[in-house]
Amino acid sequence: MNRKRVISVLGVLALTFGFALTPPLAAQTPPQRWLHVTVDERGEDGETVRINLPLDVVEAILPTIYVDAVRGGKLKLSQLRVQQVDIRALLEAIRNAPDNEFVTVESARETVRVAKEGGYLLVNVDKRNDEGGLEEQVDIRIPFAVVDALLSAGEDELDLVAGVRALAAHGEGALVTVNEQDSRVRIWVDSRSTIE
Amino acid sequence: MSAQGTLSAAAATALGAALLVGGLAGTTVYRYGAVKVYVEKKRPAGESVRLWVPGVLVPAAMTFVPDRHLEQIPPEARRFLPALRVASEELARCPDFRLLEVVSARERVSIAKRDGALVIDVDNNDETVHVSVPLRLLASLAEHLEEAATD
Repeated sequence: MNRKRVISVLGVLALTFGFALTPPLAAQTPPQRWLHVTVDERGEDGETVRINLPLDVVEAILPTIYVDAVRGGKLKLSQLRVQQVDIRALLEAIRNAPDNEFVTVESARETVRVAKEGGYLLVNVDKRNDEGGLEEQVDIRIPFAVVDALLSAGEDELDLVAGVRALAAHGEGALVTVNEQDSRVRIWVDSRSTIE
Repeated sequence: MSAQGTLSAAAATALGAALLVGGLAGTTVYRYGAVKVYVEKKRPAGESVRLWVPGVLVPAAMTFVPDRHLEQIPPEARRFLPALRVASEELARCPDFRLLEVVSARERVSIAKRDGALVIDVDNNDETVHVSVPLRLLASLAEHLEEAATD
C-alpha cells in the first residue's frame, strides 16, 4: 500500500516537472537576437574589438538608465547637443515620404545620401581625400519599423526601448558599416551569440 | 521500543538534520558561487595573488558595513546600480557568451558570461588577471547598495 502511494506521488511529481520543463508549442518564443559590433584596426598597433550584446538584455537595462539625455529608456531630444536639428521632425518627414532618394549633398570631399528604400532608412557618406581617393565610407541601414518605434514616444523624445524591441523583432541584418583607410567598423543583428 | 531502536531513530534524525543543513548550506553556496581573483605578474620573482571567496560570504559581510559608509556611494556610481542589478539578472538568464574581446599586439582583454559568472580576463606583457564574479552575487550586491542608497 505504502509502495503504491510512493509510486503515485512520484508519478504526479514527474508529470508536474515534465509539464513544467516542456515548453508548450504555442508559447515558443522567437530566437534571441544579438547586436554585434566589430572594430578592426589595421597596422602593427591595430586593435580588434568584438562586442556581442543580447538585445533583450539591452531592452531590460535601458529603462534603468538616467544619464544625460537618456532617461528611463527614452532619449530626450531637447537635451541633445544637436538642438539646431529637429531629429524627430526629420525622422517623421522621412517616414511620411515615398520611397526615393530625398537628400543628396555633394561637395568636393564628401557625398551624403539619405534615402528611404524597401522599408529601410539608408544613409551613405563617402569622404574623399585630396587626391580624390575614397577616405571613408559610411553605410547606415535602419529598418523603418525601428524608426516608427523610436517615434512612438511623446513629443521631444525617442523611445529607445521600443526601438530595440522593434530591432529584435525585425530580424537579422547589417545596421552600420564604416570603412576607413586604417579601420573597419561593423554593427549588425543576428541570432548567433558569437561572431564568426 | 528497544534501546537499540531508540538509538537508531536518534541517529537517523541527526543524519537527516545534518543532510538538511548541509544541503541548505550547499544550495546557498552554489547559488552565490565564488568570487575568484587571480593576478600573476610575469616579471621574474613577480608576486601573484590568488583569492577565492565563497560568494555567500559577501552579502553576509555587507550586513556588517555601517549604513553611513554605504550612503557615501558617489551619485555617479549610484545611478548605475539599477542598471547593474538588471544587467546581472538578465545576463544570468542568457547562455554562456563572450560580451567583449579586445585584442592588440600588447594586450588581450575578454569579458564573458560563463557558468553563471561574469568573467574578466586580461593578459598583457606585465601580468595575467582573471576575475570571476557570480552574476547572482552582483545582482544581490547592487540591490543591497540600491536599498542602502535610498534609505
